[in-house]
Amino acid sequence: MAQSIAKEFTKGLWAELPPFKLVLGLCPVLAVTQSVENGIGMGLATTFVLICSNFLVSLLRNIIPAKVRIACYIVIIATFVTIVELLMQAYVYELFLKLGIFIPLIVVNCLVLGRSEAFAGKNAPHMAIADGLGMGIGFTLSLGALGAVRESLGAGTILGTPLFGPDFQPFTFMVQAPGAFVCLGLMLCMMNLIGKK
Amino acid sequence: MTDFFVLAISCIFVNNILLAQFLGNCPFLGTSKKMETAVGMSMAVVFVLVMAGIITWMTDTYLLKPLNIEFLRTLSFILVIASLVQFVEMFLKKSIPGLYAGLGIFLPLITTNCAVMGACLINIKEEYTFLQAVVASFTYAIGFGLALVLFAGLRERINIARVPQPLQDTSLGLVTAGIIALSFYAFKGMV
Amino acid sequence: MTEALLFMLGLGGACGIVLSFASKIFYVYEDPRIALVEENLAAANCGGCGYAGCSAAAEAVVTGKAPPSVCVISSPEGISNVAAVMGMDPGTAEPHQAYNMCEGGTRATDKYHYMGVTSCKAMSVVFGGMRDCHIGCIGLGDCVKSCKFGAVTMGSHGHPVVDDNKCVGCGACQKACPKDIIEVKSMSEKLLKFNQKHDPLAPCAQTCPAEINIPMYINQIKRGDYLGAVQTIRMRNPLLLSCGRVCPHPCESECRRGIEDEPVSINQLKRFVADYEMFSGARIPIKCAPDTGKKVAVVGSGPSGLSCAYFLRRIGHEVSIFESMPKLGGMIRYGIPEYRLPDDVLDWEIEGILNLGIKSYNHVKFGVDFGLGSLMAAGYSAVFLGVGAWKDYELGIPGEDLEGCFTGIDMLSRRAGGEVLDLGKTAAVIGGGNTAVDCARTMLRLGLEKVYMVYRRTRKEMPANEVEIVASEEEGVEFVFLAAPTKVVGNDDGHVTHLEYLQMQLGEPDASGRRRPEPIEGSETLLEVDTIVTAIGQSPEASFKQDPHPRMAELELTRWNTIENDPETLQSTIPYVFTAGDAATGPSLVVDAIGGGRRAARSIDLFLKGEKVEPVVDSLQHRRIKESIFTTVKGITPRKRAKMPELTVDSRLDSFVEVDLVLPEDQALKEANRCLSCCRLCYNPDIKTA
Repeated sequence: MAQSIAKEFTKGLWAELPPFKLVLGLCPVLAVTQSVENGIGMGLATTFVLICSNFLVSLLRNIIPAKVRIACYIVIIATFVTIVELLMQAYVYELFLKLGIFIPLIVVNCLVLGRSEAFAGKNAPHMAIADGLGMGIGFTLSLGALGAVRESLGAGTILGTPLFGPDFQPFTFMVQAPGAFVCLGLMLCMMNLIGKK
Repeated sequence: MTDFFVLAISCIFVNNILLAQFLGNCPFLGTSKKMETAVGMSMAVVFVLVMAGIITWMTDTYLLKPLNIEFLRTLSFILVIASLVQFVEMFLKKSIPGLYAGLGIFLPLITTNCAVMGACLINIKEEYTFLQAVVASFTYAIGFGLALVLFAGLRERINIARVPQPLQDTSLGLVTAGIIALSFYAFKGMV
Repeated sequence: MTEALLFMLGLGGACGIVLSFASKIFYVYEDPRIALVEENLAAANCGGCGYAGCSAAAEAVVTGKAPPSVCVISSPEGISNVAAVMGMDPGTAEPHQAYNMCEGGTRATDKYHYMGVTSCKAMSVVFGGMRDCHIGCIGLGDCVKSCKFGAVTMGSHGHPVVDDNKCVGCGACQKACPKDIIEVKSMSEKLLKFNQKHDPLAPCAQTCPAEINIPMYINQIKRGDYLGAVQTIRMRNPLLLSCGRVCPHPCESECRRGIEDEPVSINQLKRFVADYEMFSGARIPIKCAPDTGKKVAVVGSGPSGLSCAYFLRRIGHEVSIFESMPKLGGMIRYGIPEYRLPDDVLDWEIEGILNLGIKSYNHVKFGVDFGLGSLMAAGYSAVFLGVGAWKDYELGIPGEDLEGCFTGIDMLSRRAGGEVLDLGKTAAVIGGGNTAVDCARTMLRLGLEKVYMVYRRTRKEMPANEVEIVASEEEGVEFVFLAAPTKVVGNDDGHVTHLEYLQMQLGEPDASGRRRPEPIEGSETLLEVDTIVTAIGQSPEASFKQDPHPRMAELELTRWNTIENDPETLQSTIPYVFTAGDAATGPSLVVDAIGGGRRAARSIDLFLKGEKVEPVVDSLQHRRIKESIFTTVKGITPRKRAKMPELTVDSRLDSFVEVDLVLPEDQALKEANRCLSCCRLCYNPDIKTA
């Protein structure tokens, strides 16, 4: 029992690590990773929604009629997104402003809906939580890593602390839109290289 | 009139929804493998985004704001958009099968396309008037289509190129998207 | 709060009502399976699969355009559910599939010389066949663009790669390709394809009597895909272990590298991969087409019979082999000594062919135990006569019937059958062909002290393979050239004691340019021997003509006792009897018989389908494409070809252990890399090459 929970948890950390192995939910990945802080903030918000929606979907999986399940899932997810939105507004207002419309857009993040459909809708609640937690943490770490690369190269800092001293000329390219695409593409390439061995 | 022109240019090029705002990236990578698919997808987005722009603007202005329940924006928008897409799909399938064959199959993809939802939210955030919202929605969709078609053209060529194994497919796709995004920077000075 | 709740309820309710009415009003029938499949997809509508949404993907699955695993985020369970919905009907008709026919070399170099042309078709119109590209694939991807199912991609070697799971065999890529790199065919069509004049073929592949795609398998070896190479060879030749050992490789004499350097050691590479499969311990599974329900009898299990049976079985016919000897193999078992082709190797090879589902009956002789009448009565619709050429010619000199006189094939087959022969201590073999050399080398291994080879011309004219002659010289066979036997001398017991021969000298060149041997008057010489073996050629033993079936009278023979047939279709004078191998051609190469067996299989297939048995259009059989045969080749740095490893002379004479050994892997790879991959060198018959 504990083993299978652990398995569901760990698969999100490497084997099916979003967004690298499952190329899903790219928009926030690209948009909010100018810095580690934003990346992790976004990741945690998504994780919260993932766990809660996975749990609720899993609880209701035998009640929701198959025909309208997608609509139901979306409403469930949207509800939790609204909750996250309100919570962040109340407690971390600055981060909320930085992440902007990407918080409400968690609703349409295919990762969340995809997990509901592919996993939570068919498994018991505790497994669904493990899955949501694993996927969420994997997603958070990926966002954090991407944020770290982009922030260190693009601004010369990590979590706001300067890394390279005053003479460092930041690659502004990295924190801008094109840099996001290139950076994610190259990281994906590296993942493929590592995965191959 | 000039205002609308500036808005249009800004939405298509400077703030391109795909390349500058990072919205709608999943279908951007998913449906850009073939030119035909990309064109179909772009048309569908134009179609739905304009309608969704109108209906969400109305929902927000005439329902949410008067009732003072803006916090339900996310929830109500997704519901409205999903129903709209579903409705349009059924309508086209029955009444205009020709058009359905062209873009109908792309419609469901749009429900969870953050470009649509995102553009609607931006319309509200920027406090556009009704006309501005319509123009913005239309031009955002045009910008989406432009980027998608450009990208599909490049990808068709990349498909047959000799690409090192680890870079294949999505990886190189993303790098290419980055380069297109860079080229869109050229429009920055225009607005 | 109440307001909010009421609002959400109202909005939800309104949407629900509108949609449910809409679904009734706008109802359209669609394949129920689409909904079932869609239910099992992740329904995230993410587009990750490349289709526009889950219903589009579901439709693609149902119409067979996408595999059940289309959804990128679906669980394995979902995938198997989709497969279950689809039922994955195997179908009865043989499916068509696109194949990339070209595996060779580097991609056409001018892909990188951008000239504003971005389509293969345009490129070939502009530059046509004159363009000297290394392999022929232009590499601009017209085929990739033409595929509606995403089944064709440009592989890392610069050739199109077909994904078998996605390919539906629609043929769009074949139409798009201006250079016939991609072909859409069923497996049977592929197996029965013969070289045609317009095919882009390397000289070696044109020469090989079995028409093996030699450059393709060498390229597979280069890439380390040894089992792929085995499969390539098996498309044309089921006896690769045997051929890899005994084939005199006519292909190597046409090797383009051989013009400026030593030719590539093609046959040793074949043996390398064949042995690789055998020693890997597992057989590569061989696919057969769905059963056709037609029965064919194959008479004789030599190379032609085995080849014909193998190809007929693979294209779906039911095949039975009838053999008069105790074991299958014909001349390659009884005519080729074990030190060239060990029994266990041959057993393994034949077992692989029989494993396809071919029945075999041993110890039954056509014309004696059974005949045309009994085969027809048993429901066989066609007969393949591959009875070989087992009757040795006789010299026609006095004393030939004395004890101690043997004929070549008779002696070899009796020895191979396990009989212990009394051969004395010295022997003379008369003849200069491969059978004669085999007899001489066999007798050395049987413990004879001295073996002479008596031949009426000189070493230069000996028809035996050069390697065989060299090996027999090494092993100590003594050659007596320019000697024409005149008489066998015996003692009072009627046993051979001497061979008398007349010495010859080379006279003036005759019309063919060869100097004719002329006897020297009074030069009779005696050679003291205990055994004399005559190996001067064979002809088919015509005992099959004894079949009392009335139709048998229609079967015509040539004046050499071979079966009269149409040389292109191999159909005999009885329409349902086909023939190939030595029985049709007289003594010839194993690889000729294998090629003939396949050609006969094609004709038999046509006959069974009720179609006209016609020759292959523009067949290249034994001919060459003139434009592809060069006299000079530029840019070759000579590199020595791999030397075949063999047992030392001392260790091989006391047993029948195999003499020739297989190349080690590193040498095989090195040898494969000597191949110029000339498979696709463009030529244009309309333009004269200066």
